[in-house]
Amino acid sequence: MRQTAGTLNRIWLAVLGILFVAAGAALLLQSNGTLHALLNTARFWESVVTGDLHAFFAQPWVAAFLLLIGVILAVLGLLWIIAQIPRKNTAGAYRLHDDGSQGFTLCDPSVLAAAVESRINALPGVVSSAVLLRGTASAPDLSLRVTVNDRADVQDVIHRIQTSTLRELSYALEAPLQRSQLQIEISGRSQSTGTVVHSTGTVVY
Amino acid sequence: MSRHGQRSSRLRHRPSRAVPSIIAGILLLAAGVGLVWLTITRLVNGTWPTLLQGPRDWLAALAWNDPVLRQIGVAAVVAGVVLLLCAIIPGGFNALTIDDSRSVEEAEAPPVQERETVMTRRAVARLAKARCLQIDGVGSAAATATTRRVHLSVETSLHEPGDLRTRIIEAVQTRLEETGLSPVPQVTATVRSRD
Repeated sequence: MRQTAGTLNRIWLAVLGILFVAAGAALLLQSNGTLHALLNTARFWESVVTGDLHAFFAQPWVAAFLLLIGVILAVLGLLWIIAQIPRKNTAGAYRLHDDGSQGFTLCDPSVLAAAVESRINALPGVVSSAVLLRGTASAPDLSLRVTVNDRADVQDVIHRIQTSTLRELSYALEAPLQRSQLQIEISGRSQSTGTVVHSTGTVVY
Repeated sequence: MSRHGQRSSRLRHRPSRAVPSIIAGILLLAAGVGLVWLTITRLVNGTWPTLLQGPRDWLAALAWNDPVLRQIGVAAVVAGVVLLLCAIIPGGFNALTIDDSRSVEEAEAPPVQERETVMTRRAVARLAKARCLQIDGVGSAAATATTRRVHLSVETSLHEPGDLRTRIIEAVQTRLEETGLSPVPQVTATVRSRD
């Protein structure tokens, strides 16, 4: 249910990959003289550095420029690492009424999420659940992760959630749900709420 | 580096490439921090750190046809191809779709514009294992699941397993069909007798 940076990662990995391949290929073509024949670059037996390196790096602007490059690289790297942390991205407070002359009505989505969780946990076969609300009050997104017992009737649980819980949430918000996502997990544990009857015995024919 | 906003992304998705991204991010960060440290040392002391003396001398004597440059070029191409493969190879989905339309009549359909119901591969494996362990003759079982296939490794105390494998496959297949997985993954099993 948490959001990861899949698209971002693919884009940046592809960009870096293209840059590395292009730089490596250019270096190989330059070192065997092909690039000189194509683009009239330096001849392959010439030195890589033709000027005075010491004098070049002694200029103050070179240090400032490299400092800027270093800061940019470090910030990009740090942001990329931070982006790997999976995030909930829950909705802010739902504004049920936002007409200033008649007063404001705000609703914390976590309150609704707790109510939905409570309803789902009472369904037969459900071990636990986690609910996330995103979007807005008029176009809410609901994400559910429901863990059911491995003997539960999964279709029955889905049916009950869709025909009762989602309907109640929609009535409470007075708006249809924009999107409903349900992720089913399986557990060997028993239900922690409601009445669970374990039956064992011997069948005699 | 911004990501999608407060809308839900799909539950059934491909791998996010977090490991190569974290490695690349750490390398970028290390390169940036190193460069910042070198330049701040230069700005504070007025001279570049002495550890740059060696690379500078090496660079000053380097010609374009030096074998080291070719090796660096090959290494860069290989690293680039690896990064591109990490970005391009799609990888398997993390979950299987459940057909939830058959459990809901048209009249009582929930007020939802877009629905997605999935079961993770791990959950499918657990479901298959649990059903398998209910079958008489099964001692222990382990299950693995992909989006197309569920494989069960079963140990039995029976000396002659007989049709146990067929019974396991049929029972698990039926359980997955009842669950509503769409498409239903193919079930395979290997049965081994305990000595």
